[in-house]
Amino acid sequence: MSKHDQHLDHLSNAELAAASNDLDQLHRDETFPAMQAAVGEWVESFHEAAVGSSTRTSSRRTFLIGLGAVAGGGALLAACSSSPSGAKTGTGAGSTSTTTPSHPSHLTGDLAIAAMAASLENLGVFAYKAALAAAGAGKLGKVPPAIATFAQTAMAQHKDHSGAWNSILTTAGAKAVTATDPALTPTVEQKFAQVKDLAGVAELALLIENVAAQTYQNAVAVLQSPRAVGIAATIQPVEMQHAAILYYVLGRYPGIQGAASNGFALGTPLAFSPTTLARPPSDYTGR
Amino acid sequence: MINIHGEREFDALLEQSRDLHSAAMATTKEALDELVEVGRDRRDRPDEIDADASLVFAESSEHAVRRGLAAGGVVASAAFGAALLGLTKSAAFASAPADVQMLQTSASIENLAVSTYKTALTLPYIGGRSANPVIKAFATTTMSQHSQHAQAFNAAVRNLGGKAQKRPDPKYVPVVQAAVATIAKQSPSAGALAAVGLAITLENVAAETYVANCPLYTDINSRRITASIMGVEAQHVATLLAVRALLEAGAPELITLSPTIAAKLPAAAGAVGFPSAFYQSAMASPATEGAVS
Repeated sequence: MSKHDQHLDHLSNAELAAASNDLDQLHRDETFPAMQAAVGEWVESFHEAAVGSSTRTSSRRTFLIGLGAVAGGGALLAACSSSPSGAKTGTGAGSTSTTTPSHPSHLTGDLAIAAMAASLENLGVFAYKAALAAAGAGKLGKVPPAIATFAQTAMAQHKDHSGAWNSILTTAGAKAVTATDPALTPTVEQKFAQVKDLAGVAELALLIENVAAQTYQNAVAVLQSPRAVGIAATIQPVEMQHAAILYYVLGRYPGIQGAASNGFALGTPLAFSPTTLARPPSDYTGR
Repeated sequence: MINIHGEREFDALLEQSRDLHSAAMATTKEALDELVEVGRDRRDRPDEIDADASLVFAESSEHAVRRGLAAGGVVASAAFGAALLGLTKSAAFASAPADVQMLQTSASIENLAVSTYKTALTLPYIGGRSANPVIKAFATTTMSQHSQHAQAFNAAVRNLGGKAQKRPDPKYVPVVQAAVATIAKQSPSAGALAAVGLAITLENVAAETYVANCPLYTDINSRRITASIMGVEAQHVATLLAVRALLEAGAPELITLSPTIAAKLPAAAGAVGFPSAFYQSAMASPATEGAVS
């Protein structure tokens, strides 16, 4: 690295890091408490629905919100397991061992979507963790500092997202989801095994980010609880931002664009995000 | 997948995009206008509407939209297409004044963004000969996307029986005017930074408004359309944050589309584009802010 480059790198990092720290503090001060409040209110709505179901007729909306938890009569608490093959567990805690996740087949309605969303976030954490490990082992060539920062920050945010969904699940009496999306995990593992360089990793990460963003976008129209809609709506744009930066580091237009998955001409910037990559709740619930 | 290595290829790509979207939007607009006319006619005769007739109408309307989407080269699987198709089934005759107000305010924000980018592109260092080609192309594309967003929001407004919002958000008009007046007096480097900062503010107002509105809509298809747009605005923000950071760091040469750019970027550039794990909504505009009075 030349002296000029070193100087530039030093200056840029100092200034950018300062900006990032300010924004991160803002996030801690304002966004996260708001998210926690939204989660709490959503969970409260579950409890209200559960109490109401025994004393009065629920409205259609309440019924739909609590379909699994209420109509199931505590089935959530009895959720047991037989896991879809290929899932990995413990991504939030750092493990990547293959074990049997808790069975989610009793989850329905918004809770099924929450569980699937958590598993999708876990897949994101798993993929970035694996990429960082491979990079650390020198398997991907020289890793630019910006890529390392990207992967660490995106991984942390996916952990936050998973934590938000899991706090909903556990407060509602269900088990936290520690498994990765069972339907996608084999594909991601297969693709990761074929990756030879950072560009390949970035392409895989881009796919995962777009899948997550489009899943949330679809969920916004499917979730019944307004609080749940609000949570999905606060996460979807962040996944899209991850994707934008990945497009940029790959040398492409930094926004959602045409691809084989959506039928638009390859690389064409799109004004409207598609949902063709959205995953269904059955990814995790198995039905 | 293709990689864009040079300005010429990038321009060609954008041209392709413009053609595609222009054709799609023109044809889609035609189909939507037809639907709105029929819907308005039926709303004027509510006593003649029964469930069966509505279903028949919805189905024939869906066919009309599908024809429009297909003719415009838009696959029906795209979110926007799905949302438009859904409009015919569930929302065409709904009475949702709050939804209409939110959609009108959204359109007003988009209108303001279009006019702001249009003004910015008159600056020599944004849209002129001295402009960074990536910034120029981004501003041009983004302006076009905001125009399409405004059309989509107004189509949804009309479908709910409301009046399209053609004017910019009144709250931010003086803010933009003051900023533009200041920018015009600044040096190219300072002006570029200020213009990018203004764009970040407007993009965040848009994205945060749509994030806040999603759980408030009673009309599912208005929610779908909004959800298909909010992430695009967030990507505008991410790009602009990265651009601003590189300008502030004195590294405009790194604002380029190249598969080798990652190796040259400073470490912190990897995270500057997504400062929060959860998108904020502190700057969200209330439903009435840009509503048609």
